[in-house]
This record gives sequence, structure tokens and C-alpha cells, in this order.
Amino acid sequence: MNPYILSATGPHIKAKTTTANAMRDVLVALIPITLVSVYFFRAYAIFLISVCLTTAVLTELLFRHYMKKKPTLRDGSALVTGLLVAMCFSATTSWWRGALATFIAVGIAKELMGGLGWNRFNPALFGRVAIILLAPWFVAINASLSPWSLNLGPVDVMTHATPLAMLQQGMSLPSYTTLFLGFPGGAMSEASVLAVLIGAAYLIYRKLINWRIPAAMLSTVFVFTLLLGKDPVYHLLTGGLMLGSFFMATDWVTSPINNRGKVAFGVLIGLSIVVFRVILAPTEGVAFSILIMNAFVPTIERLTRSRTFGHVKATSPLSRMVRTRESTAS
Amino acid sequence: MKSKTFRQGGHIPHFKSDTEHQPIVTLPVPERVIIPLSQHIGAPCDPLPDVRVGDRVTVGQPIGMGKGLCAPVHASVSGYIEAIEERPHVCNRNIMSIVIRREGDDTWNEVAGKGIDELSAQEIVDIIGQAGIVGMGGAGFPTRVKLSPPPNKHIDTLLLNGAECEPFLTSDHRYMLEHGEDVILGLKAAMKATAAQRAFIGIEDNKPDAIAHLQSLTAQDSNIAVVPLETKYPQGGEKQLIYSILRREVPTGGLPMDVGAIVQNIGTAVAISEAVKWRKPLIERVVTLGGPGVLQKGNYLVRIGTPLSYLLDKCGVERDCGVRVIVGGPMTGVVQSDLEAPVIKTTGGVLAFTPEFGRRTDAYSDCVRCGKCVEQCPMYLYPNDLGLLAEAERIGDLDRRHVLDCIECGLCSYVCPSNRPIVQFIKLAKPAVWAHRNRLATGSGR
Repeated sequence: MNPYILSATGPHIKAKTTTANAMRDVLVALIPITLVSVYFFRAYAIFLISVCLTTAVLTELLFRHYMKKKPTLRDGSALVTGLLVAMCFSATTSWWRGALATFIAVGIAKELMGGLGWNRFNPALFGRVAIILLAPWFVAINASLSPWSLNLGPVDVMTHATPLAMLQQGMSLPSYTTLFLGFPGGAMSEASVLAVLIGAAYLIYRKLINWRIPAAMLSTVFVFTLLLGKDPVYHLLTGGLMLGSFFMATDWVTSPINNRGKVAFGVLIGLSIVVFRVILAPTEGVAFSILIMNAFVPTIERLTRSRTFGHVKATSPLSRMVRTRESTAS
Repeated sequence: MKSKTFRQGGHIPHFKSDTEHQPIVTLPVPERVIIPLSQHIGAPCDPLPDVRVGDRVTVGQPIGMGKGLCAPVHASVSGYIEAIEERPHVCNRNIMSIVIRREGDDTWNEVAGKGIDELSAQEIVDIIGQAGIVGMGGAGFPTRVKLSPPPNKHIDTLLLNGAECEPFLTSDHRYMLEHGEDVILGLKAAMKATAAQRAFIGIEDNKPDAIAHLQSLTAQDSNIAVVPLETKYPQGGEKQLIYSILRREVPTGGLPMDVGAIVQNIGTAVAISEAVKWRKPLIERVVTLGGPGVLQKGNYLVRIGTPLSYLLDKCGVERDCGVRVIVGGPMTGVVQSDLEAPVIKTTGGVLAFTPEFGRRTDAYSDCVRCGKCVEQCPMYLYPNDLGLLAEAERIGDLDRRHVLDCIECGLCSYVCPSNRPIVQFIKLAKPAVWAHRNRLATGSGR
């Protein structure tokens, strides 16, 4: 880099948002749901969160050390991933599943993909889904590790089925209000819609997430469950939908960078979630849907690219191919 | 009235409160002025044949001229020519300049000229040309050339740019408040010169006093309207201003005249007015002196050619503690390497920043695709991609992604949470993209 251009030309002032304080704000936004989890699940929540945070930090240190890269713990992204992974599990999940999920999230989905900014898939969801896909292995692992599992005392709310499963099996569901305020079933993040929304409001207020993705996702789920004759409000209030739309799908790195792309991305995720919930497996539809659409982000961006000011048309993929051929011909 | 605006752009802090209420103060004339022979876009001037070292010149006398896209330069003080040689310039290179040691009376004797009504369009253009007037907003396009569009371009609207969207700068604001009549007269002269039927004065809505003042001055003129603009950067960018007011998009590679508009800066209008009224050449201008490193912040009327060091000393800048001196605004201005460089026709502001002010000292990191630059780019570009492509020197891809449409406003670098020097990467790559285009053009001829 030409040192003159770097130091002498503008801008000479700088916005306050840095990657590190953005990550810190995400951690702050996760405080309400973390507190609710601790309230419902007590020591189990504290233990699982601690395991995931510690694993995240150690994994990042380990990978960056062996990849001979500078440590980047200060950007806080490892902590965010660790906490999000923990939030995707139910509190009584065995600690080695949480630790392995975090290891895969930070080590494979982030660091091996090139580090923060280059990862194609949302690390936390990648780690969570990897554990689901690796489930057959856990039969053996669970058996061999069970002597080391912790018993942190009884938590009576743990016997609930997840609301989504209850919905699927036609059981009578808790009321809208209960689901909205707090109902301990399923993953820790699903314990209270309100707590997730408080964090989301903070992120929107701090201009760290773009409202378009959650708005497109939630309205798509609402409209299509309604059209299919389901109860749309229960679908909005249950499962990982709220955490997924505000904290996962809005991930800077793995969502489209342009506003039109964000809308398309949200709608596609919403459609996919409806397919999962209505036709396929009742749980983890949100995680799979977001990861699948993560893979299509470059395509979505290319197809929704905006026109440059003063140009008549956008550089569509087709016209670019034609022009590339022209320039190579000449 | 609702403020008009353009799409995208960003809200940045104004930092204008220190100087926006400071009336214009005339700065004492320095002992020595340095008149660079290039103070505009285009061909530099040549010293006139009768201007030699040791000769006496009087204030307002032309001392350099050139042909084509050029504007003459004038002695801004009376005195003796001390040197004709390369001297530091605010563009951070040495430029051939005429140095005048001051002696005698420096007051410009007003020559009462004819009113606009008695002057023909061509006469107005000639007066502006002889006065050496250039766009005073920063780019420095010779005003004579701007006001003589080719006959196939029909100009229907003249826009006066009072947006002053750069933080810290308040010189145009003060011009509008204290020289409102001149602003309007200069505007009317430019309208007559171009036969434009109507005019709009665009002013950001953080200057309500200027909006009200110019509205009262133009109350009788049915073809001049004051348009409040949203306070958003870069509202004063030529293409953004035209879009905000007229909803017209200057085509890529084109000029405002391609959409029937001409944009003039506020300071330029005042200079036009003074040239038409008194035949006064452009020998002085208002400069905002601001920034946390300045003790006596304010708006000063300064002779062209006044060394920055003189200006800074007069305004109580402690130069020893590592201040950065920026000519222009903090978004697009340039840090000075030599403070002996003089104020030129395009210098609207001189800022002194203390070492820690406005800086992020950590190294830049990888793009995290937050999308802030894409959301704010006033040209609807993808600065994140352009920055990466420029870093990788993928010149053909940069051209296909319209890097040459970048107006270098600096918002992308300003907002980037990874501290990436995006606009700097783009500035660095542009010459290579032009060269690539030229190669393609000559290559296809074979």
C-alpha cells in the first residue's frame, strides 16, 4: 500500500463502530435470554455456557497458533459463537456434545474457512447441526463418557416436551402469553421469546443488524403457515425461529450484503422453514434452513445486485459474461 | 418545507458549532505571498512575459495566464517579485509559483463596472475569465469554461451548492449569511451567462439561518428557489445535489450539463458578483480554520498565497505537538507535508487535528461483510468488493464493477468496522484501471 495515499488522503475521521465493539454488543444483546436460561435451568445452564465459552476461546487460540496467524480473541467473535452454540442446546445436554459443537463451530466452520469474514456458514449453527448429523456416533461416545456426566440436581421443568413437538403430536399447547414470556422446553434460547426480542431491539437500536432479514423471515413463516391452515402465531413463538431470525440469519458474514439480497434471503429461509416444519422433521428446521441459504448467498447477491448510479442497468451475470468474452476476444 | 435528499449516503458528525456563528474576520496581509501557477483543474499558467524577478506588481494585476482549460492568476498583494520557482503546494508536490514580497498599499481599488442588465452573456463570461475565477468548492474547475457549455448542450437549470456537507467547514455558511446579496447577484450573473431559466439554491437543513436569509433575499425572484436539503453526507457532491433537487442522474462518465444543469459553489458566486460589480479578480477568499488543534477557530478572509504557517500562527496552533494539518474537509481533505504551502483559490478550510483525534490506530482486518459501505455508498457501488479487488490488483474486474464511478467521498473507509482503507485502495487502483482501458482501446484497433 502506498504510504502516502494511506496517511495523507481522507477520510481523517472514523465512525465509532468496530468489529470488536459490535461483537461486544451482540454479547450484551444475549444477556436477557442468558439470564432467563439461568433462571429456568440453574446450574445446568451456567455449566453448559461455561463449557462452550471456554471451548470457543481455546479452539480459536489452538487453531490460530497452529495456522501461524495472529490471535484475534480481542474481536470477541469466539465468545459470541460459543454463547450462541450453548443457546442452541437444551441445558441438560451432555457437556461433551456442547464442547464438540463449539470446537467444530470455531475451529472448522470459522478458522479453517479463513477466519472471521471468510466463513461461508454461520459457525454456531454449523456446529449445532454437525452434532445432529453426527448423532449415530454419540451412541458409543455417550456410553463411554457417561460416568463423567454431571448431575447438578433436579430441575423439574426439564420434563417438558418441546412446544414444536407438542404441536406436531397434537398435544394441547401452553398459551400464547406463556410461550411469549417464558416456557422452558427445547433449547435454552427457546425459553423466552420476549428475552430474545429485547436483545434484538438492542441490536437494531445499535444499527448492528438490518431489520429486513428478520422481517422477511417472520412474515414469510406467518403468511405460509396461515395459508397452510396452521396456527401462525404458535409457529412464530416456538422453536429457534426468533433467535434464528434476529441473531443467526442476520450474521454479517454469512448473509447477503445488499438490502434487496437481504429481503430475498429472509423470504427463502422462511419458505424453507415452513417446508421443514410442515413436511419434514419438526425440529431444527430453522438451523438447517439458514445453513442451506448461507450456501446460496453469493448467488442471491449476484442476482439482486443493484444498478450503479448513472448506469442504466445492473451488471447482471449474463451481460458480464458477454462482456468478458468480448474483452478476451480483443 | 420538507428537505430533499438523495438515496443512501450517511449521517456523520458535523463538528460545525465552533465556527458556524463566528463572523468573517479579515486576516492581516502577510509579508510574503506565494502564488502557484496551478490552482485549478487543467493546464497550469505561464508567468506573463513582463513579470520578472525584481519587478513591481500591484494588487490584482494578472501575473500568470494560460490557454484552454485554464484560469489566470493575479497578484494578491502589491510589492516586488522575489522569485519564480517551484514551491510547496497544498497538493503536496512542488509547483511553479510566483513569490511576492509585500510593499505598499494592498487595498483593491474598486472599478465600478456595468450592471448585469447592461452586460451581454459573453461579456459576463469574459469578466469571469479575466478575474481568474475557478470553482471554489475544491475541484477548481475554471468557471469561464463551465459557463460556456458547447452549443449542443441546453442548460435549463443553475444549481447553487450551499450544502457544505463536509464536517468542520463553515465558510460557505458565513458567505451566505454575510454576503447574501453577492451570492444572489453572482447567481443571476451565471444564469444570464448560461441562459438558464431557473435556479435552485440547495442548503443543508442544519443551516436554517442561511436558508431563511436567502429565502428573504429571493422573495421577489420567481425563478430562484431556496431548497432545504437533508443533512447527509455527501449532499454537496455534484451528482448527489443534482439528484436531490432535480431527480436527474448524471450518466456515468458524464457532466452535469448532460442533464441540463450547471452547479456553482457559494464562494464562487460571491467571487463572480465581486468581479461583475467591481472587476475584482479572485485575490482573497474565506477560509474556515478549525479542528481541535486550533485555539482561535473561525472564518477568516485570507489573501490567496498566504502560507499555511502564517495562518496557523495567527490562530494559535501549536505546531510542535504533532498536529496534522488538513487542507479541505476531514472526509476528502489532504494532510499537508509542508506548511509553507499557500492558501489557493480552492482552499475552503484548514484544519489542525491533534494526534489522537479521529484516528483508529489498529491495523485493518478482513472484511466482515457488515454491509455498511454498500448501504451508504452514494454511487450504489459495492465498496467492500472494490476494496478487495483493488487489494488483489484485479484491474479488469474493478472496471467491470464500475470503480471509475467512485466519487471518492470516503464514506466507505469512514464506516468500516474492520478499519479497511477502502477508498484509499480505490484511489490507488484507479490509474491502473484507466491504463487498462487505454490498452483495451488501442488493442482493439489493431
